[in-house]
Amino acid sequence: MSSENKFEDEVVDNKNKRMVRCQFCESLMLRQQTASFEKQEYDLPLMHQKNSRAPGEIEKETLSGFWVVEDMMTFENIGFSNTLDRTKFLICCDCEMGPVGYHNIDTRVSYVALSRVRHVD
Amino acid sequence: MAKTYDYLFKLLLIGDSGVGKTCILFRFSEDAFNTTFISTIGIDFKIRTIELDGKKIKLQIWDTAGQERFRTITTAYYRGAMGIMLVYDITQEKSFENIKNWIRNIEENASADVEKMLLGNKCELNDKRQVSRERGEQLAVEYGIKFMETSAKASINVEEAFLTLASDIKAKMEKRLEANNPPKGGHQLKAIEPTRKSDSWLSRCSLL
Repeated sequence: MSSENKFEDEVVDNKNKRMVRCQFCESLMLRQQTASFEKQEYDLPLMHQKNSRAPGEIEKETLSGFWVVEDMMTFENIGFSNTLDRTKFLICCDCEMGPVGYHNIDTRVSYVALSRVRHVD
Repeated sequence: MAKTYDYLFKLLLIGDSGVGKTCILFRFSEDAFNTTFISTIGIDFKIRTIELDGKKIKLQIWDTAGQERFRTITTAYYRGAMGIMLVYDITQEKSFENIKNWIRNIEENASADVEKMLLGNKCELNDKRQVSRERGEQLAVEYGIKFMETSAKASINVEEAFLTLASDIKAKMEKRLEANNPPKGGHQLKAIEPTRKSDSWLSRCSLL
């Protein structure tokens, strides 16, 4: 998992210095300087869930660095899951890997986890 | 923050279950390795950005999310839709025959000027073909809409189909704007009107 120092290298003027792409298929999610950085903790479901888990139980990990996207139309390409507890999860538009972040349907703000995407010049 | 796009089009994918609408929506999805978490919760919609004539267009694409199992789709789903992809499977005769029912459903529920396009999907499965290309073309002519055979699996024509539909919506919209706002001094700007300088504003896009 990326260290917080590595995150800070990606932030310029509190925005994303580089483009944000899917770490699996390189699909472009965000252009440079379109999202702001926020250090907040959120328990995001793991991409791969264990089959042995109990039904309804979701394995999560606590992530702390997110790109905040106020308007969903700022995304170049992104997918939204169905709603679960007032939350939609963000996935890659092309290969559908995710969640790479989440979307609060009350505030309509989206959050992309820095550790679940690639930053590319 | 300033708007970073010129147009936003809401598009729907409609057709019988199993015709591969989800694959059309996500043309790489044959390679997709959907995680259990996402496949359990399901996908609602996607946002794609394309460029036409130097204009940035956001496509918000919705799948029918299983509603088609009931053979009908409610008015709410059609609300605000500007374009509809009617999808059948070339290896499933029934899915082709049902296109007529879907068109009726659209006529009853969607806005009258919604732009439609017919897609015969799974064209990579030619040896299992039940619907000839000619019949697809014929039906499209009957309804006065465009037609393409696509393969979401082999990435044939999928992007082209979306570009074509988007370009037709854009042309229609610009024509309407032109009619409402004759180009003279101080014409009223609509929210939907492109805010960038109008370089090739009226040039009809011809991608195909």
